[in-house]
Amino acid sequence: MKEGWRIAAFAVVIAVLVMALAPYIWIVLTSFKTRLDALADTPVWLFTPTLDHYPEVFIGKGYLPLVWNSAIVAVSTTLLSLAVGAPAAYVFARHRFAGQEDLFFFFLTTRMAPPIAIVVPMFLLFTEIGITDHLIAVIIAHTSFTLSLVVWMMRGFFADIPREVDEAAQMDGLSRAGTFLRVLVPMAAPGLAASAILCFILSWNEFLYAFILVAFEGRTLTVGIPGLITPHGTLWGQVAAVAVVATLPIIAFTVLVQRHLVRGLTFGAVKG
Amino acid sequence: MTVEFKDIRKAFADGTIALDRFNLAFDEGEFIVLLGPSGSGKTTACRILAGLEEPSGGSVWVGGRDITNLPPRHRRMSMVFQNYALYGHRSVYDNIAYPLKVRGAERSQIDGRVRETAAMLDISALLDKRPRQLSGGEAQRVAVARALVWQPEICLMDEPLSNLDALLRLQTRTELKRLHFELGTTFVFVTHDQEEAMTLGTRIAVLREGRLVQFDTPREIYRKPATRFVAEFIGRPAMNTIDGVIRDGQFRAGPLSVPAAGRPEGPVVMGARPEELAIADAQGPGAGLFTVDVVEQVEPDTLIFLKNGDTEIVVRALREAEELAPGAQVQVRFPEDGLHFFDPETGERIP
Repeated sequence: MKEGWRIAAFAVVIAVLVMALAPYIWIVLTSFKTRLDALADTPVWLFTPTLDHYPEVFIGKGYLPLVWNSAIVAVSTTLLSLAVGAPAAYVFARHRFAGQEDLFFFFLTTRMAPPIAIVVPMFLLFTEIGITDHLIAVIIAHTSFTLSLVVWMMRGFFADIPREVDEAAQMDGLSRAGTFLRVLVPMAAPGLAASAILCFILSWNEFLYAFILVAFEGRTLTVGIPGLITPHGTLWGQVAAVAVVATLPIIAFTVLVQRHLVRGLTFGAVKG
Repeated sequence: MTVEFKDIRKAFADGTIALDRFNLAFDEGEFIVLLGPSGSGKTTACRILAGLEEPSGGSVWVGGRDITNLPPRHRRMSMVFQNYALYGHRSVYDNIAYPLKVRGAERSQIDGRVRETAAMLDISALLDKRPRQLSGGEAQRVAVARALVWQPEICLMDEPLSNLDALLRLQTRTELKRLHFELGTTFVFVTHDQEEAMTLGTRIAVLREGRLVQFDTPREIYRKPATRFVAEFIGRPAMNTIDGVIRDGQFRAGPLSVPAAGRPEGPVVMGARPEELAIADAQGPGAGLFTVDVVEQVEPDTLIFLKNGDTEIVVRALREAEELAPGAQVQVRFPEDGLHFFDPETGERIP
């Protein structure tokens, strides 16, 4: 009986793994397939790999700067969200003020409207102040939704640190700002790391806002992909190549900070 | 340098009044204990002195200077918290060194002070550990070291022993007393444990419902409690208090009659410490007949719980009372010079 459960559990894990990994493996393979192999009616598993797509799209089509744009947007969004969100979360965790819970909930409501409903007014607003087609527009747009994430996650982290620690820091000679920056932030580092990764992933993968708000030089990597859908057909090999490159930083990041991420997600989120 | 609370009032946002017209003044070098039951305002008073809580009214003075609005970091006070409040991401060494570092001490000086303080608290071997690797007693020593390392003028302690188990609490208590003797720093110690207060304090401030009830040496507080509340709060077992009336130079409560010459007539509360009472062989002046209810052998003493109608008293006797069995009738003698009298309305001591 016990053995039976083990096999069942194992089967479920395998099923989930296949569902999660199959598309990814598919796209990795496609990025090395010739156009003929990629479009074959019966999927080809054994083929002569080609390395053409990567240089073609990144050098030939000039997609390399898009990687840089994505990086600037994702890193800036992450830093901005943490710089604004962490102090806000700290205040929510420590202080009592009128309308506190309403305001806290309001942060979440910013995520309830479908993004498509917000992006048009945002576009008009940004055009008005003249920042459309600049990366800053995408950074602000992305921060608008990552910020709520940071506030919600970090509140739990700060709430988990006993209030007496703040007070001990003040008795030890720190100001309130010093207490936050020099004691609370280091103590909440796992939470900050987890929030940072989520912000980075969300911003890096985001398509809609970036697509509407920038064109030409300011495009991010995700926005570049539709450019490969041409009137003569979709260049699947190049699409796959861009997609694979787009996943690399996320994979690297996640592997690097996996421990923080798991701890951060299970720890902060429960309390939030 | 005197520390002075002047007419301190503290009302919290939820309407509770923690302190009301609280006045207290004491001198440098003392070991002051703020003692009271929960909700008496003792912790609030300590936190107001630290600057962690802002009073709703009144002022705090140290050395003739009004420090009511001074932020905690400028008060030259340190604090030990009940839950230790160590910095979990730093080593024990760094925890202790932190106040020196923040206050801009020289690196060479920091190392010397940290090691010296650690040695004084017998935690030199723990310096490389992390707070989560420490036991409760060790963590508390680290917290004390952190509070004393930079030689503050006043060291505040908010129920620092409450999270320790009984034996460790006794050891740490003795150690704190020794530290106070060696350093001469002013200590302000908050507790609800009267035994801690009695053993540690040079003077004890007893608080009740946000007010100072009595401020005196442990001996005076024990021997001359200012109110019925103090009388019943200090000492274990508590002082026996009997509601009765004085008539014809006698205190009377039911069948009990005790000489109380020269006292004004009228209703009164009489108090007598359990060790002042004695089991008498025969009836005599100042004795009353009681029935033994329970006998507790608390070595080396015996606690005898007795009843007479509604009146219940405890007698603390040295072992000889062993043969007493529940139900036995005995005479209990109330010695005239060991009696306390309190006003039944206000609870105030009647001299």
